[in-house]
Amino acid sequence: MKILIADDSRVMRQIVTRTLRQAGFDGHDLVEAQDGKQAFDMVQSEKPDLVISDWNMPEMTGVECLRQLRANGNDVKFGFVTSECTPEMMQQAEAAGALFFIIKPFTAERFDEVFSPILG
Amino acid sequence: MSDVAALRVEDLHEIVEQVWSSYLDPDGIEPLLPIFSEEDVAALKTDMHASVSITGTWHGHVVVACNEPAAKNCSAAFLAMEADEVGEEDMMDVLGELANIVGGNVKSMLPPGCFVSLPTVVTGEAPHYPSAEPVCQLAGLWKEDPFVITMWQSSGAAGEAA
Repeated sequence: MKILIADDSRVMRQIVTRTLRQAGFDGHDLVEAQDGKQAFDMVQSEKPDLVISDWNMPEMTGVECLRQLRANGNDVKFGFVTSECTPEMMQQAEAAGALFFIIKPFTAERFDEVFSPILG
Repeated sequence: MSDVAALRVEDLHEIVEQVWSSYLDPDGIEPLLPIFSEEDVAALKTDMHASVSITGTWHGHVVVACNEPAAKNCSAAFLAMEADEVGEEDMMDVLGELANIVGGNVKSMLPPGCFVSLPTVVTGEAPHYPSAEPVCQLAGLWKEDPFVITMWQSSGAAGEAA
């Protein structure tokens, strides 16, 4: 599977990558975006199977990226990894079509729980 | 003081424990050891400050402060590298991410309708927030170096209305 990791923090992109490995999800093709706009563009150009996105990013937020993808008819599997978690945000994420909502800080166990049904 | 006083030092401690157990102390052997004496907290020397601002129904700042050895150890743990391999950019990026994580979790405990800024990191003198006052602080030692996490609440309409 090809996985797009979208986060403006290279530290967090690295931690997400490492945690995927720790959770046993090796061997996937990982690509990275540094903001929401780049993520939106890379979903078109890279055609990932899954997008793991931060919420608060420059240029375009994660949820704006997801809404724009859905508005364009793109149904890529998409979810959030974010330090911010309020009921309103979770509702917005779900309404926009997000598959999951992982809160930072997270553990490999949490990744396993969320991604096992998706990545197998 | 406003409702945010309901965000207690125990809440900050809970957030910090989650960060430490996830990234900085996954084996549970080197936790952040809280310091409670005001005199001891005042004696802590920090020269790296990462912060996020919160606006909306509550206005203020969440600041994570430490010294360079603490930032190096923190970066080594976050980036899975040796402390002596850590560079300036690594420390700035990691402290920014740390402030982002703590600030995002603080936001989750505030009244609905708040927004968290992207993080900023400065070295040297602590940043000044002329129209804000500290409302909640957790200080401690990790591997013998200081970490201080402070919530500053801005005065003014939104700061007082929260």
